[in-house]
Amino acid sequence: MIELILSFLKLGAVSYGGGWTIVGLIRTEVLGKGWLDESRFRDLVAIAQVTPGPVALNAATLVGREVGGYLGAVLATLSVVTVPILASLALGALISRLGPRGNRFREALRSGTFGLLAMTVWAFAPEAARDPFTAGLALGAFGLAAFTKVNPVLLILGAGALKLLASFFLA
Amino acid sequence: MQASRPPSPWRLFLFFARISAVTLGGGYVLVPVIARGLERKGWMDEKEFFSLFGAAQSLPGPIGLNAALFAGRALSGLPGLLASALGVLVPPFAAILLVSGVIGVVAAQKQARAFLDGAFAVVPGLVAALLWRMTRTRAWNPGRVALALAAAAAMILAPAWAPAIFFAAAAVGWFVESPGTKA
Repeated sequence: MIELILSFLKLGAVSYGGGWTIVGLIRTEVLGKGWLDESRFRDLVAIAQVTPGPVALNAATLVGREVGGYLGAVLATLSVVTVPILASLALGALISRLGPRGNRFREALRSGTFGLLAMTVWAFAPEAARDPFTAGLALGAFGLAAFTKVNPVLLILGAGALKLLASFFLA
Repeated sequence: MQASRPPSPWRLFLFFARISAVTLGGGYVLVPVIARGLERKGWMDEKEFFSLFGAAQSLPGPIGLNAALFAGRALSGLPGLLASALGVLVPPFAAILLVSGVIGVVAAQKQARAFLDGAFAVVPGLVAALLWRMTRTRAWNPGRVALALAAAAAMILAPAWAPAIFFAAAAVGWFVESPGTKA
């Protein structure tokens, strides 16, 4: 349980670049520690996506629940938000007033964030796009999300619905 | 702060709880919904919100949560921040505990399995789109290109070290950037 707390504290501290990078980091941590296997983790991420609320928090709650029951769910969720909340308490006012030095600070974080996003794509691509159909869904989602303003929720639900339809015709 | 009567922490809690309870898709969907909601309530205009949001992104944390933390503090100080945090956290947490008992059962169903596989397939696509948008909007120079590629390669090769690599890249970045950097 201590290990669960420490892991999620650490993940909360590096959670730059939005929810998906946190999910990528959670994956590395959880598979590395042998807490869950890949297919179980895949289910949890898919469920985290289709339940309301920030995906990263949902994923943390679900993983905590699987690893340590209800107590694990509470501890993982609180741990992952501890550093962000403390950081915004301690530094929030300061950062809002940094001015030009704030730009330097933000720019310094961007290369690392680029790395986190790239790592997340790399980690999820082989599992998510396991056959030509799911690869097509992934590519389609990229195209629509990168070049249009379509709501990501529609992409998530739409891809689920398409795969469901396909399972009737192809299976 | 500029609002004549700041909203009470309880009202902030309800505001964020309602948004968090009905918004699927995570931070990138939550943020615009929060921006519009704050403006509609007359608590904060969108321009002020997005300038806070820019600052919120330079701290770690899920983006939707950070946006709520910064907005809550700007409106009602420390109690506002804590109330907003709870508002974002509580509804999805409760929802997940409710569904978590039946995940095994649901995932074993063939149709549910197909739907979840499809929903999961878009994950790398959505993240790649974020990466693409960030790549396109950043002002690149040779130092930034080299550092970003080095960070990406190092994290892909040694994912367990990603947190350390992230902070190393940020530290190098701080020294590479000139003090007058424009974001």
